[in-house]
Amino acid sequence: MSDNHHESFRLHSPEFDQLNKRLDRRNFLTKTSLGLGALALGSLIGNRVLGKVPGAVTNDHATVTLEEEILRAIPHFAPKAKRVVYLFMSGGPSQFETFDYKPKLAGMFGQSLPDSVRQGQRLTAMSANQSIFPVVPSAYKFSQYGESQTWISELLPHTARVVDDLCIIKSIHSEAINHDPAITFFQTGTQLPGRPSIGSWVSYGLGSDNKNLPTFIVLVSKNAVKDQPLYSRLWGNGFLPSEHQGVQFRAGKDPVLFLDNPEGYDGKDRKEMLDYLSKLNTMQNEPYGDPEVQARISQYEMAYRMQTSVPEVMDTSGEPDEVFELYGPDSRDSGTYAANCILARKLLEKDVKFVQLYHQGWDHHGGLPAGIKKQCKDTDQATAALIKDLKRRGLLEDTLVIWGGEFGRTVYSQGKLQTNDYGRDHHPRCFTMWMAGAGVKPGISYGETDDFSYNIVKNPVHVHDFQATLMHLMGVDHERLTFKFQGRRFRLTDVQGNVVRDILS
Amino acid sequence: MLLNITTFTGHLHPLIVHLPIGFLLLAILFELVSYFNRFKELKVAVPFTLFLGFVTATLASVFGYLLSLGGDYDPQILSDHKIAGIALAVVSGLLFLLTTPPFKKTVEANRRLFSAAYVILFFLVNYTGHLGGSLTHGSDYLSLDLISEKAPQKPLKVEEALLFEDVVQPLLNKRCAQCHRDGKLKGELSVQSFVALMKGGKSGLAVVGGSLEKSELYKRITLDPSNEKHMPADGKTPLTPGETSLIKWWIEKGMAMKGIKMGDLKDADEIKPFAAQFLELGESSINTEVITKSENKINPDIPSVFNSGLIDSLRNEGLNVRIMLHQPVMLDITIPAGSGNKMNRIIGNLKTIAKNVIWLNLSNNGLTDTDVDFLPLMTNLEKLRLEKNPLTDQITKALLGLNHLEALNLNETKITRAGLEKLKQMPNLKRVYSWKPVNK
Repeated sequence: MSDNHHESFRLHSPEFDQLNKRLDRRNFLTKTSLGLGALALGSLIGNRVLGKVPGAVTNDHATVTLEEEILRAIPHFAPKAKRVVYLFMSGGPSQFETFDYKPKLAGMFGQSLPDSVRQGQRLTAMSANQSIFPVVPSAYKFSQYGESQTWISELLPHTARVVDDLCIIKSIHSEAINHDPAITFFQTGTQLPGRPSIGSWVSYGLGSDNKNLPTFIVLVSKNAVKDQPLYSRLWGNGFLPSEHQGVQFRAGKDPVLFLDNPEGYDGKDRKEMLDYLSKLNTMQNEPYGDPEVQARISQYEMAYRMQTSVPEVMDTSGEPDEVFELYGPDSRDSGTYAANCILARKLLEKDVKFVQLYHQGWDHHGGLPAGIKKQCKDTDQATAALIKDLKRRGLLEDTLVIWGGEFGRTVYSQGKLQTNDYGRDHHPRCFTMWMAGAGVKPGISYGETDDFSYNIVKNPVHVHDFQATLMHLMGVDHERLTFKFQGRRFRLTDVQGNVVRDILS
Repeated sequence: MLLNITTFTGHLHPLIVHLPIGFLLLAILFELVSYFNRFKELKVAVPFTLFLGFVTATLASVFGYLLSLGGDYDPQILSDHKIAGIALAVVSGLLFLLTTPPFKKTVEANRRLFSAAYVILFFLVNYTGHLGGSLTHGSDYLSLDLISEKAPQKPLKVEEALLFEDVVQPLLNKRCAQCHRDGKLKGELSVQSFVALMKGGKSGLAVVGGSLEKSELYKRITLDPSNEKHMPADGKTPLTPGETSLIKWWIEKGMAMKGIKMGDLKDADEIKPFAAQFLELGESSINTEVITKSENKINPDIPSVFNSGLIDSLRNEGLNVRIMLHQPVMLDITIPAGSGNKMNRIIGNLKTIAKNVIWLNLSNNGLTDTDVDFLPLMTNLEKLRLEKNPLTDQITKALLGLNHLEALNLNETKITRAGLEKLKQMPNLKRVYSWKPVNK
């Protein structure tokens, strides 16, 4: 194949020639005017001053874009965490039956929630019209565990055993009151869809440590009540280049859809085809200059490498029995939460930077006692096992583990309160999450809620604060990782967010 | 409303004041050069130029009076300037009058005598102008002392710099003294000397040792820039975060006064980089933003000079090199599992950058004790992963000198309990992983 062979592919229709010309003229003008302007500016204010203007192009090469300039400054400080595994409990787990022990509620069963607590705050349409808001204590008992003597519900016996490794934040609060906006808020920093997910920001800002696997991988449990939907845009790249989107790995024969070669097609053919396609794409990229073409090229190449790396990492048959015992009986059934936890550990071992698990089914508007018991049973052992497993392998050193949902639940019962059954509505004003591992203080509880776990009384942590802290642990100043889109610079925490320094080790 | 017009026209004084200077000097020049034949025609222009000088001098006097109502000037210089300014207007008016018809003849007869009056006018213009300049720029701005004054000796090292004399005072002079000086006294405050600074200003004490809340000066420089009371005022260069930190530290520590060297102060480490930057000592490329934001203590032993080309060559060999920090360069290096055979080729480069390696992952590479004999060079290591290598207790010798090591992963190695026991003497080692030891 001669080098100018692809010349025949080049489009020579009048429109294209026009486009090429226009781009050339535009290019010329942009480059020369910028060059002259920079020259004038440089001589006006002098190099020393110019060098100190924050955000200004300090480099002599005019080709350095703002994006490159921003990325080049990362990491802003020495990171504590190299990888993140985020266990997302979708639906809004109740804090009352898990981590936020409220003994004073015990004597208040069925009493109306005092107005002084709620203070007219908005409720969802599902319970706003209730004539009474009967307070309901946890149906499950709490005990103290670990050296830290932390109160944990009897539903989480395994988590209770690793409590000295956890940093439990009881004062997380969100702005959204319904599932999708709330999850979107957690994942992207905005309630409206369209912004990049945390994992995409991490991938964009920090790049990959394993070129054979995506930087951001998503696993969704198959053994969960799908009471609320999960959309793949939750791990979408938004306006960031699309190679930074989360890649979902599924259970079963085809972990990544459309990755395998079609029948009767061998690897060599595939490679040849991809090389040729990449040439075509490069050509296409010349007139358009669309970064998405570049992203497409790198995704094809990644897909090719994944043809070998994915089957290898997804194969858990080499794991000893002891591991399956640690993660619980579900872990032999691929696609379950427990099996996903083993996979997560394997991906982290391969230095995949951001692994996110989703487990749905925590939305207990009614039948909460039975519902949450099942949810805990499905997740508790594997979650604790992941902590233990990472710890004994020395990976908890530089891996950050996060557990939490999109909001909490109300102290009052939604619907009719029965002696042994109740439901709880959405409650964004306070709920519990925990973090463990790299860079966070182990064995502490942070933040306090009032006796009704309705309002925060000490150390509130907003969703943006959580995101800022996460980025901080990865070595990124959340205020300085920005991306310009449609005329303005965006960042994960938008215009808010403070790093929660009190929980940093 | 009226007050605003007063202020506005008052602020026009510095503008209009240059007109009489120009016109009157021109009139004097015309008068004097008209003695020469070549320029004798200029004589006729003198009355008109003089008239313009008189009118603008009068305006300048009025505006100057309005400006003085705004206050905050040295009263002695102000009063001298006022008298001189009014005198100038009167004298120039009189001189103009003498060029008009009733007196013209008399004057013509004694021309040389009246020319002498122009020379007096010349000195009056200069005197008034100098006083005005002293009011705005300070009485030492244009002074003969400047010629004999020696440039202040700049300290060569941060440790030798005197906290107040070499850092804080020059800093205040640079950022505040344009308005808050002896002779100008905006807000009745001068920062030009320690005594004046302690006296404070109209809004109270400028600095109170040990109390940031009571120190008006600190409050003003840390206000939101949109606040009217924020200092420096609009249009003036604000303090950098580093400079603010210096002032803050100085106030908090009770304002160490005379003759105290930075080197003798306890825990001055946090502000030394700012002081160095202000004095333009050492690394001029310090990024203050980074310093103010990273409160993590950075190991000072990590070399700040680094050849970044080595990173590329290591990456070309297939190593995963992650930059953890740019200044100083901190590296996290992973040698991918199963590439132990590459050690020979990379060992040279690894040794060159040894002191910049902070995290190192050598796991699962079939390395023996002799393969890792370079480890003692990596004295700044904080995390080391050696798991899944056939290493024995011999390795402990290589590790004992790693004083910064915090975490050590020895899972699935041949290390025995006795070997682990030896590691206990390492000063900073907090976590050792020794899961699943491999039996010989």
